[in-house]
Amino acid sequence: MNAPFFKFDYFNSDVSLIIAFVIGIAFGIALEKGGFGRATILASQFYFTNMRVLKVMFTAIVTAMLGLYFLSVIGFVDLSLVYLTQTNLLPMAVGGFIAGLGFIIGGYCPGTSMVALATGKLDAMIFVGGMIFGILVFGEMFPGIEEFFNSGFMGTVTLPSYFNLSYGLVVFLVVLMAIGAFTAAEWGEKKMAAKTGKEVL
Amino acid sequence: MKKFWLNLSMNRKLALIAIVFGVIALFGGDPYGGTTIKINEKDIALSTVGNSDKVSVTELADWIIKDKSDFELIDLRSDEKFSEYTIPGSQSIPLPQITSSDLMRNQKIVLFSDDDVAASQAWFILKSKKYKGVYILDGGLNAWKEKVLFPKAPLNAGKDELAEFDKMKEVANYFGGQAQTDSSVAETKQQIKLPTPNLSTTKTVAPTGKKKKREGC
Repeated sequence: MNAPFFKFDYFNSDVSLIIAFVIGIAFGIALEKGGFGRATILASQFYFTNMRVLKVMFTAIVTAMLGLYFLSVIGFVDLSLVYLTQTNLLPMAVGGFIAGLGFIIGGYCPGTSMVALATGKLDAMIFVGGMIFGILVFGEMFPGIEEFFNSGFMGTVTLPSYFNLSYGLVVFLVVLMAIGAFTAAEWGEKKMAAKTGKEVL
Repeated sequence: MKKFWLNLSMNRKLALIAIVFGVIALFGGDPYGGTTIKINEKDIALSTVGNSDKVSVTELADWIIKDKSDFELIDLRSDEKFSEYTIPGSQSIPLPQITSSDLMRNQKIVLFSDDDVAASQAWFILKSKKYKGVYILDGGLNAWKEKVLFPKAPLNAGKDELAEFDKMKEVANYFGGQAQTDSSVAETKQQIKLPTPNLSTTKTVAPTGKKKKREGC
């Protein structure tokens, strides 16, 4: 038995939709349980009063990275079959900046807005409406920005291949980076709590 | 040691585990080279019996005419040969690139080159990488030319055989070829002009180079 299961044809695309549905529900529950369905918690990340988003995300990244790395080293996962998004550096930086602005203003990212929508939050409904409108605008203006959209194409790049480091070293460095970030986040939260006189949520 | 562990908070325990795995990873090597796949020789040997892994050219012609789209037709020859002439609806993946292609393991894949050799090699490579529905076009492009594009009239044909040949003529016309009614013409087959790729590829709606499926979030 090898993974990814779908690419090795352990189930067909109909079944894959059912599995995607189940995983999606579980992901939504995890986000809601993590407090990601509340805009105040998400936005407070940007004021350094509550670093929950950073902690949850970095934990997810480190867990997934260690799992994927070791499962492929022992030969269970064929990593070459795991899809990697291709990189267009500058357009992605600009897109990330715009998404970040939306994140601070609206208090949600696309995924968490859906979670908040499911729990019936009014602001999330408006956020999702705005997102759909934004997609429409993007689609309409796409011919005008297509050249920029496709510029700076780098193909599929990974940190190890770009910096010519070994995969193991990058895994180790990311773990160190995560633990450093956690420590800094906890320290920062305490500082901010002392300053504002409020406990972290 | 045990006491030290028990005194740690949950977060610190997890952090420690992550660090341990991170340190092991330093010596873990390259995850991309590591995939090992067991080849079931018996399975592979058995699938060659009874020609269950082969598709005949007439069968393929039938599929194309009926516009079946549940298979990927792969031309393993070089790009130059591909642009010269190819079977309508096929996409070009030269043999050396076969492992880095976008082909999915759950697709039905029909391989062909000029004869059976390259197709058989690619068939084995894909089979050993656990592609399931891999087929060889029996006789390759040579058989395609001989039986589909320029079929020969059977000698001393009976009624049934003649009716069969009429059908083959239609098929040949469909793909821009021509049936050979006079057996002497067949000797000069080399001079017969192959249908231009444009003419033949426009006849089917099957896409020649499917766009890569976008995945991810």
